[in-house]
Amino acid sequence: MIEEYLFRAILASLMVGTLLGLLSPLINVKGIAFLTHATFHALLFGAVLGMILGLMVGNLSLIFWISLIVAIVVVMVIAEMEIRGYSSDTAVGATAGLVAGLTVLGFGILYKVMASKPYFGLSESIVTYLTGEIFLITLNDLWMLVLGGVIAFAIMLAFYRDFIYLSFDPEGLESHGGNVRLYLMILYFLVGAIGGLIVKTVGLITLQVLAVLPGAIALTLSKDLRGLIGLSLGITLLTQVSSVILGYLLDVPPSGLATVFLGTLYGALMVRRKLA
Amino acid sequence: MEYVIEAENLTITYNGYEAVKDLTFKLKKGETMLLLGPNGAGKTTLLRVLAGFHTEYRGKILVFGRPPLEVKDRVAYVPQTFSLNTRVPLSVLDVVAMGALYRRGIVHFNVPRDIIDRALEVLDFLGLKHLAERPFRELSSGQRQRVLIARALMSNPELLLLDEPLSALDPKARIDATSTLSKIKAEIGLTMIITTHDVNPLIEIGDKVMLIDRRLVAFGTPEEVLRDEIIGSVYGPASRTVKVGERLYCIIGDVHLRVR
Repeated sequence: MIEEYLFRAILASLMVGTLLGLLSPLINVKGIAFLTHATFHALLFGAVLGMILGLMVGNLSLIFWISLIVAIVVVMVIAEMEIRGYSSDTAVGATAGLVAGLTVLGFGILYKVMASKPYFGLSESIVTYLTGEIFLITLNDLWMLVLGGVIAFAIMLAFYRDFIYLSFDPEGLESHGGNVRLYLMILYFLVGAIGGLIVKTVGLITLQVLAVLPGAIALTLSKDLRGLIGLSLGITLLTQVSSVILGYLLDVPPSGLATVFLGTLYGALMVRRKLA
Repeated sequence: MEYVIEAENLTITYNGYEAVKDLTFKLKKGETMLLLGPNGAGKTTLLRVLAGFHTEYRGKILVFGRPPLEVKDRVAYVPQTFSLNTRVPLSVLDVVAMGALYRRGIVHFNVPRDIIDRALEVLDFLGLKHLAERPFRELSSGQRQRVLIARALMSNPELLLLDEPLSALDPKARIDATSTLSKIKAEIGLTMIITTHDVNPLIEIGDKVMLIDRRLVAFGTPEEVLRDEIIGSVYGPASRTVKVGERLYCIIGDVHLRVR
């Protein structure tokens, strides 16, 4: 009989794998891997801010909501800066730097607030946001993940071709009547929203790896769009589910296993390419 | 007389800096204008204004009698191929279909059948139908250029703007691209503006030539503009125009090394 927490973890990993498997090729072809780095900082700042407020008002579910909102606001600011002519590097660097500074200030306040509270739930600790705790996913967390994930999935699928064209030739898209601003905003919104939705499951560090490497690997191996998406989805789902099962069997963090597996696979491909 | 473009004392600026100034010219329907000038002369800038991408300018510029921004759907712009992100694994058909999709709503999960049929028809017209399923990134520079022209034709434009369609092409690919443009001129009668560093392969389809160097140097027929004293004033005294039989050739040396 499969244990309930493991079953929840597998369901969560299927949702995470689907979302990141679809998003990762876009991150690679659009060249916005650094955006996931900014999302990392935004989510951490949001989690710190959410924890401060959550501990103060006694509602730790604020961590999820505030980190989600902060991540979305930050990526939208970056999108707006790019639309206004700032380079992607500058927009991400400046925004992520500012948010990182605010996070340091936030930690200073958080420690003081924590010192005044004798107990808070393990599943809501800041460390969870860094490493991910898929085995501590509650039924409520799972519902949020599935509900939000289905909405994000539907939006991403509906605009997928437009995101691909946006990555291929934004000027051409505009000259043929496409709304570059709209598509860029939706794409960046999705990066922030998906990051906020799944961070508790995989953690901030693994989120960056899972958002970038499956798409990078698929891009190396596939020749067409279908192959790219199919391979990325397959790699992400396989990595996520197998790392959860292995993590359970070996009693090690699944997010760490997923990172090592994808890193090794990408490294092997690079070596093969060099030798070819 | 029906003019497609009317420009009068047009000065284009970027953040207040004058990129090109005092352009005055008119282009009639069906005419092809070759836009010549050294690097940084303002050729692409002028195309971007005509395409409605750049709106920071003074003076008068009308396309089909209206400001460019209002007639974007009647104009097609063919960018330089190096500006494309070829890491994206799109097929030739995907790229060409892009030219018609954005007339229909904002969501494009699938490419409608009629757009696929139209894309195949345009590819066939340009002799590229056999490449339809090939990955765009695997094409040669010349084939890519012609696919981008096919994409531009998908929206049935009335004005076609081509940014250096012959740059970085080998001689064979240049001939193919020039033949494509000749066919469009002869069979569709499109009004075209083509920026180029090398006017020679295109001279037969050019009704007008405009020479700019951050200002208007000359505008007129090829015979009026391609003269030693005019070419020499921009490209230096080593530049020449020669006539072989009835054909005019322009020899302008390596303008890329010119120091301002």
